[in-house]
Amino acid sequence: MDTLRKAVTRTRVEGLVILLVALGYLWEAHNVPEFYQLPGVPGPTTFPRLLGIVFALAGLWLLVSPQELKVWKKAAGAPAAAQTPEPAPAAGRGLLRRIAAGWHFYVMWAVILAYLWAMPDLGFPLATFLLLVAFIFLLGETRWHVVLGLAAAATILIYVSFRMGLNVRLPLGILEAWFK
Amino acid sequence: MFEHLLNGFAVALLPTNLLIALAGCLVGTLIGVLPGLGPTATLAMLIPLVFSMPPATAMILLTSVYYGSMYGGSTTSILVNIPGESASVITTIDGHKMAMQGRAGSALAIAAIGSFIAGTFAVLMLTFVGAPIATYSLHFGPAEFFSLMVFGLCTVASLTGTNVAKSVITTCFGLMIATVGIDLVSGAARFTFGNPFLQDGIDFVVVAIGMFAFTEVIVTAREVREGVRPEIVKAEKVWIQWKEFVYSLPSILRGTVFGFLVGMLPGAGATLSTFIAYNLEKRICRHPERLGTGDIRGVANPESANNAASGASLVPLLTLGLPGGGATAVMLGALMMLDITPGPLMFQKHGAMIWALIASMYVGNALLLLLNWPLVNLFARVMSVPAKYLMPIVLVISTIGVWSLSYSEVDLVLTGAAGVLGYYLRKYKYPIEPLILGLILGGRMEQAYRQALIISRGSNWIFLEHPISLALLIAAALFLLLPTLLKKSKQFMAARETSVEAA
Repeated sequence: MDTLRKAVTRTRVEGLVILLVALGYLWEAHNVPEFYQLPGVPGPTTFPRLLGIVFALAGLWLLVSPQELKVWKKAAGAPAAAQTPEPAPAAGRGLLRRIAAGWHFYVMWAVILAYLWAMPDLGFPLATFLLLVAFIFLLGETRWHVVLGLAAAATILIYVSFRMGLNVRLPLGILEAWFK
Repeated sequence: MFEHLLNGFAVALLPTNLLIALAGCLVGTLIGVLPGLGPTATLAMLIPLVFSMPPATAMILLTSVYYGSMYGGSTTSILVNIPGESASVITTIDGHKMAMQGRAGSALAIAAIGSFIAGTFAVLMLTFVGAPIATYSLHFGPAEFFSLMVFGLCTVASLTGTNVAKSVITTCFGLMIATVGIDLVSGAARFTFGNPFLQDGIDFVVVAIGMFAFTEVIVTAREVREGVRPEIVKAEKVWIQWKEFVYSLPSILRGTVFGFLVGMLPGAGATLSTFIAYNLEKRICRHPERLGTGDIRGVANPESANNAASGASLVPLLTLGLPGGGATAVMLGALMMLDITPGPLMFQKHGAMIWALIASMYVGNALLLLLNWPLVNLFARVMSVPAKYLMPIVLVISTIGVWSLSYSEVDLVLTGAAGVLGYYLRKYKYPIEPLILGLILGGRMEQAYRQALIISRGSNWIFLEHPISLALLIAAALFLLLPTLLKKSKQFMAARETSVEAA
């Protein structure tokens, strides 16, 4: 029952977030200066206003739709319904324990975001090498010579083929000094 | 018309284009074989590559990857019991059973033959139906186009995902992202929050790569850590007896026709077509009880349906500019980046390119048949490339794809945000394809809306006063109600769920 209630609560929160985003969007559309608006002609805010209203209505629907009823009915019909396919239900109690069970998942996202953030400054070769090392390790390869060798080989191969072959400008970053 | 087609063949058979088609078919088959790498993500990754090509070559590459993946998906369904694509889910039912009975060779052969027949049929239909539809739609004014796009978005919203409200939300969100940037008519900066990088708007490739490629990497990474990969059955000899072929031919033809009809509808796509075709096959064919026990017709039918549907989805894309799903939406985006706006005028303005594309699809189908026949065991072995080495590389190449768009750091950050959001949406069953579709169609939809309102002097009734527009809007509303009406059909619900899973 707990997971069911959680699912319903999540939907409600999502509805609220959507509603707030819609209101923010409409507010922002409202703030477009008046002088862009020509009288009698649909201006830059006509279409966004329509979208904002539809989005707000959909969010409102999530917020107030009679989902509990449906969910309870479903639960009565099929008690073992797999409502939320949590991968590790055994460790599902308590936020901390869940995070601990799926730590590599959060680390993966952190690594990806850090890569996207730092790549232009750090330089493509170095950042990519670090990303590959971290990711291959996170995916369960623990032999260090394989991890390092594969990461280095892939970095060089990708860099050379995209830089030379396809003429994509890839930043060297802090390695730049070395090559000059 | 035959003159056009012959000219098309002249372009399609140029050595470069032939090579590109071959490479596309190979790449497509490979990603079809690899679970966890779908056609949409791959097409999004290929877009930066396509920039420097002539439009015809670019489209040949993208389409050959697309239908190559439909081809490859069946291989793993049969040999490993893992559908490489969502469109091959049905094939596992009979296909893998056949493999376990030692008839993998026949299953693979009939999948290839069925795909070839269906693919060729779809191109044939595109050849004859495409231009007339385009001519008809020339009568469409802005009001009709706006309603047509509403219809397209509604069918997609209704047929993907488990909850129409959620699909409407993602569609709408995609349209909202499309409004970011400078308004081209008035010059007003909208939703840029004073950030100059946002004035050009948000590129759909940024969102598509974040939401498809990055989330796919993470989803596969979780599976790698949690699951074990099953064993591969080896096909002894890919061959088929004449008797088996005759036995399954009616199923191929039925799958082809149903697949094509369903595939024309925006939003239905290849996955749903296989479910519908297989379901109908069960009702129509003789000895329906044999289906599901390793019957060859159970492979022939859905494999024909998905190839016919993927060909059919090009019809609304090329004639009306209306993509039916993630993969065709990415193609539409690519075309628009190459400064070609698909739509009714496309056959007139870019006729040479379209006919070259159509001709190349004939060629591509033949290439796939020749390619897959001898190499099928090799392709199946690609599956054993561990995902733990492959996925990080997909990640890097996707990042390069985003970076090479405009060498902008903001794009990279936005991709990361799109990835995180996309993962949440995917996990809690908000379909992503409608979002991408909305993002791509948004600009043109707003344009049509404003033009229509200018014609009507600001009255929204114009959309109801024009008969074609009214009919489209009514159809759109019916489609939104469809899932509620069909809730009892388990097949239908299952099909929608799968189309979410596999994005």
